[in-house]
Amino acid sequence: MVTQDDNKFNKNIILIIAAVIIFIFLPNFISGYYIRIFTAIFMYATISQCINLMSGYMGYLPFGHVMFFGIGAYMSAILMKLGLPVFIAIPMACLSAIIVSIILGFPVLRLRGHYFAIATIGMNGAIMTVVQNATEITGGARGTTFPIIMASPDVVYRYFYLAMLFLMVITSLVMYVVVNSKFGYGIRSIKANEDAANSMGINTTFTKVTTWAIAALFTSIAGGIYGYWMSFIAPDEVFDLMFITNSIIMMLIGGAGTILGPIFGAFIVETVSEVAWSGFMQYHLAALGIATIVIVFFVPRGVIGTITDKIRNRRIELSKKAEVTNG
Amino acid sequence: MGLQMFVNALLLGGLYALMGIGFSLQWGISGIINLSYGAMVLLGSYLSLIIFNMFHIDPFISMLFTGALLFLLGAFIYRFALQPLLKGGIVFTLIVTFAIRLIVENIILLVWSADYRTIRVSYAGSNFQFLGAFFPLTKFLTFLVAGVIIYLTYQFMTNTKIGKGIQAVALDKEGAMAVGVDDQKMYLINFALGTALGGVTGTLWATIYSFSPHVMDVIIGRVFIIAILGGLGNIWGAAAGGILLAFVETSGAIFVGSHWQEAIGLVIMVLVLLLRPHGLIGKKFFG
Repeated sequence: MVTQDDNKFNKNIILIIAAVIIFIFLPNFISGYYIRIFTAIFMYATISQCINLMSGYMGYLPFGHVMFFGIGAYMSAILMKLGLPVFIAIPMACLSAIIVSIILGFPVLRLRGHYFAIATIGMNGAIMTVVQNATEITGGARGTTFPIIMASPDVVYRYFYLAMLFLMVITSLVMYVVVNSKFGYGIRSIKANEDAANSMGINTTFTKVTTWAIAALFTSIAGGIYGYWMSFIAPDEVFDLMFITNSIIMMLIGGAGTILGPIFGAFIVETVSEVAWSGFMQYHLAALGIATIVIVFFVPRGVIGTITDKIRNRRIELSKKAEVTNG
Repeated sequence: MGLQMFVNALLLGGLYALMGIGFSLQWGISGIINLSYGAMVLLGSYLSLIIFNMFHIDPFISMLFTGALLFLLGAFIYRFALQPLLKGGIVFTLIVTFAIRLIVENIILLVWSADYRTIRVSYAGSNFQFLGAFFPLTKFLTFLVAGVIIYLTYQFMTNTKIGKGIQAVALDKEGAMAVGVDDQKMYLINFALGTALGGVTGTLWATIYSFSPHVMDVIIGRVFIIAILGGLGNIWGAAAGGILLAFVETSGAIFVGSHWQEAIGLVIMVLVLLLRPHGLIGKKFFG
């Protein structure tokens, strides 16, 4: 039994590595338009993965999580304008996002359910207003620019494609490790019953704040890369709640509480919305809304969740049959 | 100057109060954070615009019609889109109400485009003076009407059988079910009532301000703050929250600058959430 599982595990790893290698070489064969779409998919998968850690595993829905995306983008822009290279600016931006998440996390994570979601929306709005009004530092509501990269657009787009791809892969790996560690069991126990987890000796406050800091870390890196990729950012763009609602929809479609779910969700939703944009421009909002409702009603466990459920049920049935025949 | 500011804030506060109550009831009693609330408010505005343009009926009369229509729409949405998903928890209802918002926004964009619209009634420009302060007539009327509707809602909630049933369900669901209250029916009526109040607010809003699909986000931001300030599901709390927010915004615009007023409201909301999660006005629950 153990060897069978091990074999399966190895097979999965080989499949994943093969997929990553294919995606690394994919830009050689597709046009710039598709490279752009894939880059967006990788970015959304990263954010969705962070939402998944908070909501799918821990049961706290951070609706205003986009504030870390905005902080990442704006801090990178400010630091790079000061002359720092990108490889120092983005880590420093992500450090500032972590600090903000810890400072805000201690008071806000005491709230539960609806209240937590709403408090994060409020904080996002407040931070956005500060960015809009600190005109000397951030450029105000008119937005700010990143230094222009001296290379042909083709090379630049590939550079960002690879950056987002690696970010997504690393995020997913870290999430996998975190979720399957002892710390990860703490995270899940908070979703199941926070008071019980507390009385079992899990330091829930520490667990919650650390989890939020991890989610903020990767979201802010995604923000930094996004800003550099777009080379122009404005407050109402990088603090837009649409990023989070999209990511939540992706998480739900892929399957909340699974590692592969957000990635599949990002692929499905981005493809659908891209088709909606090009196919029926005028109705794309309604199309997205109707698609969301249909998905929530008919695949509430998400694609990955439904598949694993099926496999599990089948295994249980098979083992029952085996018992019957053996017995 | 000070008196005029007070009057302006009070008149704005009446509208905010009415707007906040619908959202607060939906959230506090039916347990649904209705992200489509802004869309419902705007739907009220646009419906009264159609009625005004086609039949020349005054918004203060057509609000009865828009309210009734949005009551039905709210009941429909609750019965067919939200009730089946209640067990799924907060994520599902949030996402579905957001999806409804997107659909309504798309419809509004298709039918009326993104332009700003106004309803100009014949007496829009007139005003009167009282104790040295100017009262624009439409604003004064909306304040009066809002006050009457809030009072009627309160009477409905405390003195009718259905209202008492809604309160009973909100207070203790199992206990209410045990004495024969149909809990889903009560949630449905309450949700529909909240939507209707939103629609009426939209109609009143349309007589004063211009509106476009863009206003949706502004409305949602406001009602969150009002509902939290007053305590969820609390009618007088939401009314006080609305008036308080109007005062904060008006004085904030004068003393700190108008671009900070949104942040002030949000910061107050977060502080209330952290320090007094049952709202500024006392009790843990009304009833």
